[in-house]
Amino acid sequence: MTTTETPRRNDVSASTAMSSAPNPLAVAVRIVKSPHFARLLFPVFLFAVWHITLAAVEQVWPFAVDVLPTPGEVGAFMWDEFITDTLARKNLYETFYISLRRLMSGFAIAMVLGTALGLAMGLSRATNAFCHDWTMAILAMPALAWALFNSIIFGFDDRGPILTVILAGIPFVIVNVREGVRNTPRELFDMARSFKVPQSRIIRHVLVPSLLPFMFAAARYCFSIGWKGLVIAEVFGGQDGAGWTIKFWYDAHRAHGVVGYAAFFVIFAILFERLVFEPISRRAFRWRPQLQTEVVEEAFTENQDLQDQERPVR
Amino acid sequence: MTATQTDISTGEVAAEQRVTEEELARRARQKELTSRWFWRILSYVVVLAVWEFALLDIFSWLRGNPLDPKLLPGPSEVLATFGEIWGEGTMPAAFQATLTRIAVGFGLSFLIGAMVGILMQSKWFEGFFKDAVLISLSAPGLIWVLITAIIFGNRPIGPTIAIILTTFALVTVNVSEGIRALPKDLLDMAKSFKVSLYKRNRQIVIPHLAPYLFTGLRFGFSIAWKVTVLTEVFSSSEGIGFEMRISAVLFDMSEFLTWILAFFFFALFLEKVVLEAIERRYFRWRQAVVAS
Repeated sequence: MTTTETPRRNDVSASTAMSSAPNPLAVAVRIVKSPHFARLLFPVFLFAVWHITLAAVEQVWPFAVDVLPTPGEVGAFMWDEFITDTLARKNLYETFYISLRRLMSGFAIAMVLGTALGLAMGLSRATNAFCHDWTMAILAMPALAWALFNSIIFGFDDRGPILTVILAGIPFVIVNVREGVRNTPRELFDMARSFKVPQSRIIRHVLVPSLLPFMFAAARYCFSIGWKGLVIAEVFGGQDGAGWTIKFWYDAHRAHGVVGYAAFFVIFAILFERLVFEPISRRAFRWRPQLQTEVVEEAFTENQDLQDQERPVR
Repeated sequence: MTATQTDISTGEVAAEQRVTEEELARRARQKELTSRWFWRILSYVVVLAVWEFALLDIFSWLRGNPLDPKLLPGPSEVLATFGEIWGEGTMPAAFQATLTRIAVGFGLSFLIGAMVGILMQSKWFEGFFKDAVLISLSAPGLIWVLITAIIFGNRPIGPTIAIILTTFALVTVNVSEGIRALPKDLLDMAKSFKVSLYKRNRQIVIPHLAPYLFTGLRFGFSIAWKVTVLTEVFSSSEGIGFEMRISAVLFDMSEFLTWILAFFFFALFLEKVVLEAIERRYFRWRQAVVAS
């Protein structure tokens, strides 16, 4: 038995293989103590809690059980959706395709506008003073307000949700790009200029590489916040899309539909993170020893005014 | 550029001239400050003017057909509506309902989040809670709101659970960040001098974690109030979210904007003024708080 590797799963084959090992008890203890085992234990624990809650509720209020979804129902629902056997107007793939299209349009517009504004705010003090407060105000506004407002203004079509994505995501882009401009190494600019490096190469080799991590953080945040805003917008002002469909199951009072669709939301977000952002990040920052993105999150205004005063703004 | 000028001057120029240099630098700073405030105030004027006079046309253009002016009231109308609603006296009750919900939900969420974060000191629990934190951070708050609304109906426990599920991970992430930055040497020393686990936590871990906890509190609050308003839209008969939904359903946009803006300013006030003042006061003894 090798001692360095801890088996990832304690499935049956592994444990039978281990029974021939010198000390099965120690091996079992080590498996149980490994973080991977804990990670796998979490869903098991979740299902156990789910079952126990259901059983307890059945004892106390037998009538309430109709509302509560069982894991089996949710699983069956998700499988039906997966094989496109659904009661909703559009199947799972069409629904997520529609939402993704809206998300991407809003995301692209927010990235372009936000980058332009962020660059302007990073380069000019006047622009920064002009836009700072309003960026903060848009950032702090709940997506719900944008969603309801846009649904009333635009009714049931694509523009309301797209505008919601833009408004929800753009402040993150602006703020991150502005931070990126401020963090570009000034010495490199000065040196490039004194060695008469052409402007295009300065942009390509100095500005872009130092801006890239900030742009990347901006894209990540814009995407995830935009997605959260989009589903709310679709609930109120959509005829289709992921948000509309979860609201459809909610209105139909199918708890297993709501839970199952919620699980799809989570899977969608995590898949996107794993399959899109992580590979891009690994590729784009391969040349760096480590990623040092100062990700600007919700409350980045701390010491903002201080920074405005202290940092030289180019 | 003023900084470099003073640098050069300090070396060679006489004292009287240096004073004038400092004076110049001061004047430059003054000018800079004036210009900043000029632009800031100008931005308020411009935005409010655009909202009052031009926004209707902009939205009509975006829509492709003219927008009913009733659907987009200007700031003056919103202010008038605010006066009306304030006169009716329903506003404090709605604020109170929402704030109570936030306090209960986020209070519990903060405790749970901090506990999970502290448990995540151990590798085993880190593995255990990893996916829970990931899901809570990446899932839209809407799904918790809908799930709890369909299961619990109008009972107050529904919003509480939704708030906990949306915000606990923010606290957890901050706490575990703080734990990663724990002064290991101090802990090792405490261990080798056989300081008890309780004392170690009380005297080393908690003081070190306090600023991180506070950052978690501020982040969490900024999310918590938004989720609370969202829960009230679906499963409540009082509070800001409920009033927002009613006015949106009635297409009464000036009332809608009044409710959301009133609570928006209130929440911003709590977040930026009250919490930051407390933080500054509480952590005065620290040189610089480095909490992400």
